[in-house]
Amino acid sequence: MADASQTDARLVESETTETDAVAGVAVGLSAVLFALAVAALFERVSLTGSLFGIRTVTLLGGLLTALGVAVVAFGAGSRLGYVETDPDPSAGLVAGFGAAVPWVVVGGSAASQTLGLGTTVGVLAGTAVGGGAFALTVLPREDVGSTLPLGSLLALTGLVFLTGVIGPTWVWELDWAQQAALTAEFLIPAATLFSALYGGWASAKAYGGFGARGRHMGAYVLVYLNALSIVAFLFVLVAFVVVQGVPGLLNGVEIGLGTGPQTTVLGVSVTLPVSVPFVMNGVALFNDFQGVLPAIVGTVWLVLGAVVLAVPLGVGAALFLTEYADRGRFTQVVEIATNGLWSTPSIVFGLFGFAFLIPRFGNGKSLLSGMITLGFMLLPLVVITSREAMLSVPDEYRDASAALGVSKWQTIRSVVLPAALPGVVTGVILGVGRIAGETAPILLTMAGGTFVPGSQTVDVLGSFQFTSAPPFVANPALLEATSALPYQLYALISAGVGASSNVGNADEFRWATALVLLVVVLSFYAIGIATRYYFRRRLTHT
Amino acid sequence: MSENTTQQTQTASTDDRSPTDGRSPTTTTGETVEQTRDEWTDYEFRGDAKLAVEDLDVHYGDDHALKGVSMEIPEESVTALIGPSGCGKSTYLRCLNRMNDRVSSARIDGSVKLDGQEIYRDGVNLVELRKRVGMVFQSPNPFPKTIRENIAYGPKKHGDLDTGLLARLLNRSDADERDALVERCLRDAALWDEVNDRLDDNALGLSGGQQQRLCIARCLSVDPEVILMDEPASALDPIATAKIEDLIDDLAEEYTVVIVTHNMQQAARISDQTAVFLTGGELVEYGDTDQVFEDPHSERVEDYITGKFG
Ligand SMILES: Nc1ncnc2c1ncn2[C@@H]1O[C@H](COP(=O)(O)OP(=O)(O)OP(=O)(O)O)[C@@H](O)[C@H]1O
Ligand SMILES: [Mg+2]
Repeated sequence: MADASQTDARLVESETTETDAVAGVAVGLSAVLFALAVAALFERVSLTGSLFGIRTVTLLGGLLTALGVAVVAFGAGSRLGYVETDPDPSAGLVAGFGAAVPWVVVGGSAASQTLGLGTTVGVLAGTAVGGGAFALTVLPREDVGSTLPLGSLLALTGLVFLTGVIGPTWVWELDWAQQAALTAEFLIPAATLFSALYGGWASAKAYGGFGARGRHMGAYVLVYLNALSIVAFLFVLVAFVVVQGVPGLLNGVEIGLGTGPQTTVLGVSVTLPVSVPFVMNGVALFNDFQGVLPAIVGTVWLVLGAVVLAVPLGVGAALFLTEYADRGRFTQVVEIATNGLWSTPSIVFGLFGFAFLIPRFGNGKSLLSGMITLGFMLLPLVVITSREAMLSVPDEYRDASAALGVSKWQTIRSVVLPAALPGVVTGVILGVGRIAGETAPILLTMAGGTFVPGSQTVDVLGSFQFTSAPPFVANPALLEATSALPYQLYALISAGVGASSNVGNADEFRWATALVLLVVVLSFYAIGIATRYYFRRRLTHT
Repeated sequence: MSENTTQQTQTASTDDRSPTDGRSPTTTTGETVEQTRDEWTDYEFRGDAKLAVEDLDVHYGDDHALKGVSMEIPEESVTALIGPSGCGKSTYLRCLNRMNDRVSSARIDGSVKLDGQEIYRDGVNLVELRKRVGMVFQSPNPFPKTIRENIAYGPKKHGDLDTGLLARLLNRSDADERDALVERCLRDAALWDEVNDRLDDNALGLSGGQQQRLCIARCLSVDPEVILMDEPASALDPIATAKIEDLIDDLAEEYTVVIVTHNMQQAARISDQTAVFLTGGELVEYGDTDQVFEDPHSERVEDYITGKFG
């Protein structure tokens, strides 16, 4: 073992040694196990099948055992002085509780279920085993404390899988609710996942040579794996929808001159060179391929309408609250009210639209009612985020402007608002993500149907009319009922199997609708990000 | 006490506007009256008073930051304010263009006259006041805009420069005037040579010292009569500081400059008269710079200047 002077003098880390390599491999092994566990949890890897010619469960068990043994060996090696490390006197209370929790579970379930000793004994055994793991972590020096309990946990889990005590077909019937059962399909990936996290933590500590550096490494690995799993989860989710949705989306796609439908762009009639029936058609009896065009157009108009309504109102309200109103009782009440409004369930907004707006706008469900309802839903978030953004504009800018004799309103317009815009846009992005996917308010205010004919596609721009009586402009399209993607998706799912005759493969149709919804929402998101980037650049570059 | 009284009779016997006399009834605590009577704040200068401050009291909530300050500032000269940190120099400065109105907890009593006109009274046009009394802040605060836009900001907002879309379409854009103004202000602030090739870069990309000079240039852009500077050179290197000092010297031919500084040598170099504030928010001595530095009347000021306290 390194003596004090040697460790103190080690400002530059020594080159990678074999022991470092062993610990590094252990960290890598944990990452692999983590990935395998996630894949198994999402059934991308079959537990009953095999990987690289080995049965999956055996592979998982083997890797876990190896990892556990490596971790314990490293700890022992450090304690006995074969490995040069820099451990603290104790691994600490947090590590102790961290190690105790899984051991309580293992001890408890082994005693009560595997050995069949009953609940009371199970609880006692769990407490005892957990306490033991806690003591074993906290009492010895850090190198032993942070490896031995976790390493043996890993090895134990691995051996349970290896020996087939818990195999791929294992089921644990839970008595207290008839239908609940813990199956191997869930337990094995979940146990592997947690074991991999623990293994990664312990081996990262070992890799860092314990002590402050070791703890840093351990935290780093945990945080990194967490961040990675969020990205992975998002990716899996999107990939899942894409894989399921693409066949329906590409049904009957044709590429080539003159294949697409005719549209008018800036007064010129053109024939699009591609035909994607799913996004260019409605549903009609004589269509070769059915589509969801009315719902796409409906969603886009809905979101635009809500944004147009909510952004000026919300930004104005935020301006008043931050720049003009004195901070006091009134602003507090407004603030609480806005926060409360943001937390109000969407079905309540929907009911409000249904009972208040619909009787006032043509007495029928309409695009306009939907827009206003969603606008009200979006409003509080715009107020909250705009206010936050304006508060974070430094007072120095306002002082500088005032000292030049510039009036308050001009200061707000040319200094405060530009500086706050990126924040405002962030709020709108978040809000649009929420409202674009809302189903309940649309159900009550805008409706539409399960299969919407192409004739129901709203043409907002094309139906502005001038009238002789006030208000002189009318837009009947706004007062029509139309569909939106989330609502149509809901209607498709609740319509069940009976619907299939209409659209060929109903399942494909549903997934394709979901995919289109996802794409529409993500497009709004992309537009928002681009806008924010533009405004932010103007503040910091050029 | 007796020593100070003798001095008063010696130097200021001709003065009949002694603010100490006028202040006695209005000052709140007896102690303050004694203390300020003690000191030497009365000063007769040649020329006209640009700013006349009388019995100025500033409270921040319960905190009495300035206590009965009276002083007159002559036009077309440089007046330096010195004193230990927290003694109310910035507060005093901010009273001269009513920037303290923007602090909601601040309460200001007393009178400040600009060219004989009271600025603390209803109906004063703050926009006009601040155009005439410009300010450079203690820490540089350029807008997150381009260098050019920073300078043109004030004149544009006052309608003196129109480079908007409509003006450009009507061929009435003042872009040339604007560029001339930008160049003049930047030259005056000794910044032109460093930034003339990147006028369209964001001002936040400049160094701290450059930002401060940009703020001085921005202040000059609206052509003020009085320029208040709160430690404008605290973030500058000696060369830039020398440039700023030259600039202040030039400015004093046309403008009235009031400058806060912690640097005694700087105050001695550039100012025509010096006011010394001491902890507690009192104006303790005000007089010709040479006299204040070489032969201060108040012992406390002498201690402060020679570094014994403060
Ligand atoms: N906005 C404010 N709110 C409350 N108190 C303030 C405010 N500004 C200044 N003060 C108080 O008034 C007193 C004088 O402050 P001021 O900023 O005028 O000092 P200063 O002489 O400029 O100091 P420095 O040399 O450090 O800049 C201090 O005690 C300070 O705490
Ligand atoms: Mg100050």
